[in-house]
Amino acid sequence: MDLDVHLPLIAAGDTAAFGRWLAGAEPTVRLTLRSFATVIDVEAVLQEALLRVWQVAPRFVPDGRENGLLRLAIRIGRNLAVSEVRRTKARPAEPTEDLDPEAPAPAVSDPMLRQKIVDCRDKLPAKPREALDARLASAGGEDDDALAAALNMRLNTFLQNFTRARKLLADCLERAGISLDAELGS
Amino acid sequence: MTPEEKELLIEQVAGAWRPEGDDELHYHKAWHDLDAAGRARAFELARALRPLEAALDPDGLSTTARAVLAKIRK
Repeated sequence: MDLDVHLPLIAAGDTAAFGRWLAGAEPTVRLTLRSFATVIDVEAVLQEALLRVWQVAPRFVPDGRENGLLRLAIRIGRNLAVSEVRRTKARPAEPTEDLDPEAPAPAVSDPMLRQKIVDCRDKLPAKPREALDARLASAGGEDDDALAAALNMRLNTFLQNFTRARKLLADCLERAGISLDAELGS
Repeated sequence: MTPEEKELLIEQVAGAWRPEGDDELHYHKAWHDLDAAGRARAFELARALRPLEAALDPDGLSTTARAVLAKIRK
């Protein structure tokens, strides 16, 4: 899919359109930063890169190929990562894969699959579900200390509940014949 | 650091929360306490978690996407 379909609205300052672009672009941009994962905080770099994409989008001129904004995001992310490596004098691993930016990584968009995930979430025991819901509701806006305090949990208890939630979700999906990602259950 | 303590650090780093900053990038403080294997594991866990988060979000957005949008709308 060509995510540039969202470009006119993004350029006009429509944050909802940028959200739709993010939903498709984020997994691919994240993967292109994998080789930096041991030497920089990829989540921090990724969020900053995506923020910069929003800032430059109104001036972006497509070159006629698909996913121009995604390719720009990948460049911004890599440049930012390289700057961080220089700043911290770290050495990243060699890249292990070349992604095709014209073919963004697939998102979980199948409505039936999404419903299975929701069903499995609804079956979680109370405490793990509270921890999972708190993380989702905060949307990266509060740290785990604050989320734990709001739930009257110690930080370690909160994190253990979150770990339990993702493992139980993975088990539930596995039983439903769905294997999303082995990392979730490990 | 025990393996259990390391797992809890990984779980924190795999989340989307990062400290607020002005110009500089702000790393999660737990990231600095992890060794290379722990950082790699946190990356893979975050990569696996985000599609799940997006599936549970009414707009199909991960917590990373939501965090970015929140910064834009500030």
